[in-house]
Amino acid sequence: MRSDDIGLQVSSDPRLLGVIRGVIQVWLDVFGLVPDRRHEVVLAVDEACSNAIRHAYKGRTDEAVELVLSATEKWIEITVSDQGTPCPSECSEYRPLVKPAEHELVPGGLGVKLIHEVFDEVRFCPGTTNGNCVTMRLRRTAKHEVGSED
Amino acid sequence: MRIETTKTADETIIAIEGDIDLYSSPELRTAVLKAVPKATAGVGIHLGGVSYMDSSGVATLVEGLRSAKENGKTFVLVAPSISVMKVLELARLDSIFEVRPA
Repeated sequence: MRSDDIGLQVSSDPRLLGVIRGVIQVWLDVFGLVPDRRHEVVLAVDEACSNAIRHAYKGRTDEAVELVLSATEKWIEITVSDQGTPCPSECSEYRPLVKPAEHELVPGGLGVKLIHEVFDEVRFCPGTTNGNCVTMRLRRTAKHEVGSED
Repeated sequence: MRIETTKTADETIIAIEGDIDLYSSPELRTAVLKAVPKATAGVGIHLGGVSYMDSSGVATLVEGLRSAKENGKTFVLVAPSISVMKVLELARLDSIFEVRPA
């Protein structure tokens, strides 16, 4: 972690997801992300944390979800990690979001797709015995930031 | 999140305010899946007061829509907030639902 990175450790209690979203939102405000992109990034990070709670910790609320928020001139980078059950690699594979036909309309399975959709680079690192980690990177460009010139 | 269910002659309206996320969506799912089979003609989900919705909220709406089709009922999103529409658009599901203003 660099000196200006922010580290957060939050219990795997879904009631605290709103707190995480609030922190991410305020942190993104520092970089002047346009509201649409800010909303998408908050959503994608929320999805990563929800996956840790639902899938890695199977709904246990007393485990730890860790976040590292980092920004450089070129990138905004957020890492979410847990110490729960490693998710099978096929769960984190990139699958494009497409409009489903009516018979294909099923609830669920959207979270990882949204993460891939929102960020420019996504790297999932499931542990061999325990834990998961996902690093999500957004390239900083003028069109994403308020007050920047194209 | 707050949920208020009201009935008109034809329609059951479920009005939601606040955030729909992993914590709150199970309560919404229960309300929706309970209301759909009992509705006279259909269900309207009023989303004008929703400040945030994640994929578990989207999944709940998809489940409600499927249940409505199975039960021969209508399922309409009423006055969805910008935040709700953005998630549905991102998920490529915005045109799957019937939407009407308040």
